[in-house]
Parts: sequence; C-alpha cells; structure tokens
Amino acid sequence: MTAIKDTLDVKREPVPSRTFSKAYWDASREKKLIIQYDARTKRYQHFPRPASKVTGHRALEWREVSGKGEIFSYTIARRTREPFAGHEPFFIVMVTLDEGVNVMGNMVHCDLAEMKIGLRVKPYWAPLSNGTHLLMFQPDR
Amino acid sequence: MAMHDVAVVGYAETKIVEKTDRDIWEMQAEILESLLEKTGFEKGEIDGMILSSSMTGAGNAFWSQTTADQLALELDFCQTVDIGGCSPTGALARACMAIDAGFCTTVLCLYADTQASEANRQRPRSYFGEWQQPHGYLGPPAAFGLLSKRYEHQFGLDYRALAKLAVAQRGHSVLNDLACEKLRKPITEDDYLNSRMIADPIRLLDSVMVCDGASGLIVTSKKNAEKRGLNKCVVPIGYGERTNYRARDNIVDVTETGHLPAGARAFAQAGLKASDIASFHPYDDFIIAIMMQLEMLGFCKHGHGCDFVKSNDFTHTGSLPLNTGGGQISAGQAGLAGGGTNLIEAVRQLFGEGGKRQVKNTKNALVTGIGGIPYGRNWASSVVMIMTPNA
Repeated sequence: MTAIKDTLDVKREPVPSRTFSKAYWDASREKKLIIQYDARTKRYQHFPRPASKVTGHRALEWREVSGKGEIFSYTIARRTREPFAGHEPFFIVMVTLDEGVNVMGNMVHCDLAEMKIGLRVKPYWAPLSNGTHLLMFQPDR
Repeated sequence: MAMHDVAVVGYAETKIVEKTDRDIWEMQAEILESLLEKTGFEKGEIDGMILSSSMTGAGNAFWSQTTADQLALELDFCQTVDIGGCSPTGALARACMAIDAGFCTTVLCLYADTQASEANRQRPRSYFGEWQQPHGYLGPPAAFGLLSKRYEHQFGLDYRALAKLAVAQRGHSVLNDLACEKLRKPITEDDYLNSRMIADPIRLLDSVMVCDGASGLIVTSKKNAEKRGLNKCVVPIGYGERTNYRARDNIVDVTETGHLPAGARAFAQAGLKASDIASFHPYDDFIIAIMMQLEMLGFCKHGHGCDFVKSNDFTHTGSLPLNTGGGQISAGQAGLAGGGTNLIEAVRQLFGEGGKRQVKNTKNALVTGIGGIPYGRNWASSVVMIMTPNA
C-alpha cells in the first residue's frame, strides 16, 4: 500500500486574510480555533464571511471550539501543482465539526487503512512562517 | 414575446485542439465568418454580442468591449457571462432575454477560450487562496474526489456504470471530426477502470483535458427568422439556472445539485418531463457529474443513477443519446468555453446535421451547464435548457 504523506513539508506561504477573517488567523497564532457564530439563528458558519449566511446581518460573534469532529468525505490527491508537487499522495478531507460546520484540511498521522468517512478527528496545527497556524486534522484515537 | 419567440438560426464550431498556435480573436473571427455565411446575415445586422467567460480573457475587465472592437462590431447590447461552465448556455438564455426585452434583434453568442496555450488568470479575487489553496485543493479533480467518495458512502458507486458512460461518449468523439484528435480513439470499460488515479476515486478517464477551441450561435427573433426564410432553426422552450444551491447551509448533501431546482423550472416552462427528452447533452467535466444530473433531472431517482445507466443505451442510436459529439471529456474542454461543446452539439442534432452520429428522435434536446468549484458544496452554478426544432 502506498504511504500517504502528511504535507507538513510543503512550503506554504502565509495565508492572506480579509478584514472579516483576520480574527480567525490571529487566534491561530495560539492554536485556537474560533468560528463565526450567528446569535440570531444560533448557528455557526465557516469559512468566515462578512455577514450571516442566513439573515444577512453583520453582527457575528467569534466562539472558540474544540475542533473535534468526524470525516465527512476525503480524497487522495495524487497529482497536483506547486507547492504541493512531489508531496503526493496526500489526503484532502472535509470534516464535520461537532458544532455543525464542514471544514477542509489535510491529515497527519493517518494511513489509508485507518481513513474512512465517520472517522473521529481532532485538530493538528501546522506552523506558517508569519506565526499563524494552518488547521489540519489527525485521528482522535 | 417570450423566450420561445426567439430562435437559434446558426451555429459554428472550430476544431478543438490540444494547444492552438492561433490567436483567440482569430478563432472568434472564424466563428463569426462561418455564422454570417451560414445564415446570410450581414455583419452590420448583428446588434448584440454575448461572450462566455474565458481564461484567456481573464484579467481583462473590458473583455467583451475589446473583443467587439477587434471584430469591429457596433452593438446595442454587449456583455460577458461569468458563471463558469454555465456561461455558454447562460449566454443563450441572456440573448433570448435581450431580444425579448427589445434591447437588440440579432445576437452573436461567442464562446472561445485558449486556456491551454494562453491562460491570463493572474490574481483572481476569490476565497480560494485563503480557504482552499493552502490544503492543496487546487482544482476540480480534488473537488470531484471528495464528492465521489461521499456519493459512494451514501449510495454505493458502481464504477462499471461510470465506465459505460465514458465508453459511450468516446464512441461519439470517434465520429466527430471536430473533436481533439488525441481523444478520438475508442476505449473499453477496462481502459476506464485501469486508468490511473488522479484524486481517488477520480481516474484519468473520468476527467476532461483542457484544450483550445471556439464556437458560437446567431440568435434572433422567430419573426425575423421567418421573414428571412431561416426556417431551419432551434427554439429554447425551457430554462432554469441556480447559483449557490444551498448557500446558507453549513453541511450540504453534495450528491444533490442545483440542477434539481433549475431542471424543475426548465421542465415546467417547457411542459415536458424527463421521459420526454429525446437526446441529453449534459455538461461533463467528470463522468460522475453526468450520472448525478440524470438523477437530479428526474430520469431516475436520487441515488439510483448507476442502475439507470446500466439499463440504458447512451449511444446515438440508443434509448437516451448522450453528448453525441463526445462531450467535453472525449472531445476536449475548450477552457471556460467548453460548455459550448455540449450546447452546439444539441443544436446541430436538432438541425438534423449530425451526419454519422445523427440521432433519430429530434423532437427536443436537453443541455446543461456546471460552473465553479466552491468550498464544501459540489459546484457553484447549474443551468438546464430544453430546446426544440422550429415547429
């Protein structure tokens, strides 16, 4: 079986943020996962947007969450472009957080035999050069 | 006036090539010249132009104006449609609108992209760089990998059924002189199954190859067509469009697509149902998208696509002729103009000019579009159009 790589060696640039997503990236400096929360509809939403996905109102809170959840779906990227070229094969996963949002990421510490839809996962924070971190996932064994 | 008072009176298409050495404007000029010759319109009579989006034109915020100037067209209506692979069929719908509203009378719908040889997408403003690119989610194969795994989890996925669709389309591109030469070789179901994985479970033969090419239509009012003796024409009778299906939801069933509402609208407007459709020309960036659209448009139940595929014949002489020019997967994807390949083939069939691959039943044809790769959903835009020959 081909070993699936974890993409930690990929030379990623710091991620460009926007006025309404800066708080997310700032929190990632301390490996904290914060998600936008709409108090009117009592719903989380991700990725960060300038307004509520449901009502269009701009009053949104940030709430810290555990980042635990389960695999919603996954694929194995086998042919990609720079800066990922040469780091294949690697997982791209969509995770349903326990708070009810789907979040994309890569997987570390996980081989093909363990991967399945429904697998419980927890966060893994990969450092970026500007002090922020990129959210990845690992099996929650 | 209404949409069905508008007629497509001419179509044109270049050969699809792996990499062109010709300028995109030269290809567009070839389409315009061909359309003028076929329809008898004078160039000066064209008073509207609608372009599909184009990776070559990307970065030029004045794409439709600049292109119109290159072709020296003086226009009362000029725009680019930017809903990705939905743009060509979306452009035809907007041509109907513009003519119906009285803004112009004769529209050139022009679809061209030379993405393989000249992509000019510099720094697109998108959420891609922040939320997708950092994970190596670099394009459509990863999106369709995630989607396919989820489909398999929910319903099971018979890869032989997908193989059957790939083989049927390939058989059609062999009969299509304008298809990309590299792809005009027959394949077997085993060839499909054994082709290498790109983004599991997406295989090479699931996927489109980016190419260069152009196509186009002349659209005018039915009254004008009749006045000029252009009796051979095609009339759109139903259209539906949906962008960001389930945009507000956080967890979306990715096996359900915007073709569900778009199809319901198109069928209601046309007064038809799936079983009435004579030939099917769905947007095909990946094979599984064809099967999902069969489900969403009501040819079969949600999750029953594989069974439907296995019990039908999709060749041009079969029970439901499918993308009879080969589709984009087997004719080549002319960048963002690729949706024109499915659309032009449907029009050609209804004109009765399918040649070696002419379908018998030309009562109608259904064309679709798919556009854009969003975050956590399947695709951004879905369109459905039903057309008939001039009754």
